[in-house]
Amino acid sequence: MYLTRKTYIKPTMKLSGLLFENPYLMLMMQHFGLNFVVQDKSVEQVCHENNINKDVFTAIANLYNGFQEQYWVHFSRKDIPAVILFLKNSHQYYKVEKYPEIKALIDDIARINNTPEIKLIEQFFDEYFHEVIDHLEYEDEVAFPYFLELAKNGGSLQKADYSARVYRDHHTDIETKIMELKKLLLKHIPLHQDKTLRRRLIINLFELEYDLTIHYAIEEDLLIPLIDHFEKTPSRG
Amino acid sequence: MAECNIHIAIIEPSHMIYEGLSNILLKGNPHGRILRFENLDELKEYRDKNCLEVIIVNPAIIMGDPGTLGTVKKHFHKAQWVALVASVFSDTLLNLFDARIQVTDTPGSISRTIARLTEEDCICADDSPGEELSEREKQVLIELVHGLSNKEIADKLHISTHTVISHRKNISHKAGIKSLSGLTIYAITQNIVSMNDIQSGG
Repeated sequence: MYLTRKTYIKPTMKLSGLLFENPYLMLMMQHFGLNFVVQDKSVEQVCHENNINKDVFTAIANLYNGFQEQYWVHFSRKDIPAVILFLKNSHQYYKVEKYPEIKALIDDIARINNTPEIKLIEQFFDEYFHEVIDHLEYEDEVAFPYFLELAKNGGSLQKADYSARVYRDHHTDIETKIMELKKLLLKHIPLHQDKTLRRRLIINLFELEYDLTIHYAIEEDLLIPLIDHFEKTPSRG
Repeated sequence: MAECNIHIAIIEPSHMIYEGLSNILLKGNPHGRILRFENLDELKEYRDKNCLEVIIVNPAIIMGDPGTLGTVKKHFHKAQWVALVASVFSDTLLNLFDARIQVTDTPGSISRTIARLTEEDCICADDSPGEELSEREKQVLIELVHGLSNKEIADKLHISTHTVISHRKNISHKAGIKSLSGLTIYAITQNIVSMNDIQSGG
């Protein structure tokens, strides 16, 4: 997280002011399926108009500003679909926008800096990319549909094959690989006329890492505990 | 200290005092990061707790309930707490802190107070010591890149598996890289192996 002065977000604050302070909140709004041109509206107004629990919205927005709330107490079963929509939209962003952007930059660099190191970086990234896609697809196809069913019908379903620990291990692995890519590109592999492209690539990796860190925090600290909770206390309806 | 990238949190309701103090702190430490919090509750929810080295608090914030400071302190194992003193407070209150800054202090003396608190252990220093690999570590890395297991490396270099593992840890720590494919790229950049070695050694 790399912004020096960040505001702790409250529902009464003007959303546009917060967007000017931390432009990555635009991305967060896109993940929520919201427009980021909001004129003078406050956080709670925007949430109300779009039928999103303002506590869910501020908790996630605060993650983007570097704050992790200790207790996710205000959330209910009704909030699960909004959180899952957020996560699914993030997946789309990784798959359709961010990873192709990074891949294209690596390809461009490989054309200018035709060294064995960069070839290996290409391989390293391709392997990593496939791993990530597998994980995202598992979530989209297996975990999320199960969570949505659970939100609708209560905890009497056959439990899907997931656990918080498996999630965490996988996330750690994905994060370690981005960190290694950054280290190699920023510290070890000599530049070879690819300075501008290299900078753009590294900044892109930082941006991806920033969004993924928050993505995982939402899954591990918000969604999974919520699901565990509702699995133990089935609704009667 | 001058090169150190320290993180400082400030809880001070007066915007003027906050701005002045953060400018002084950044002058003394241009690579530092200053974060402002409104109160202890907000501070407690900050995500990168272990990165905060110094927390400067106006004691007026906790005067009504000094007990909360003790509770919040437990969340920040590495931080030093500094009272930012602008009026008269009891010693009992001020003794809850590790150091004090007076609003009348000169910029130099404020910087020195912070420097004294942070020079002992700089936790935000780069996690890799930036040392070169030893000859033995280079040998282990070459075999690793060629795909040998810990056991095979131990046999080849006539050392114990335990020693191989400890070399691997040191290599990863120094390079900042754990995965085998990452270490392979690292080994090439350091001219420890060549691309041909990898392709033929496989």
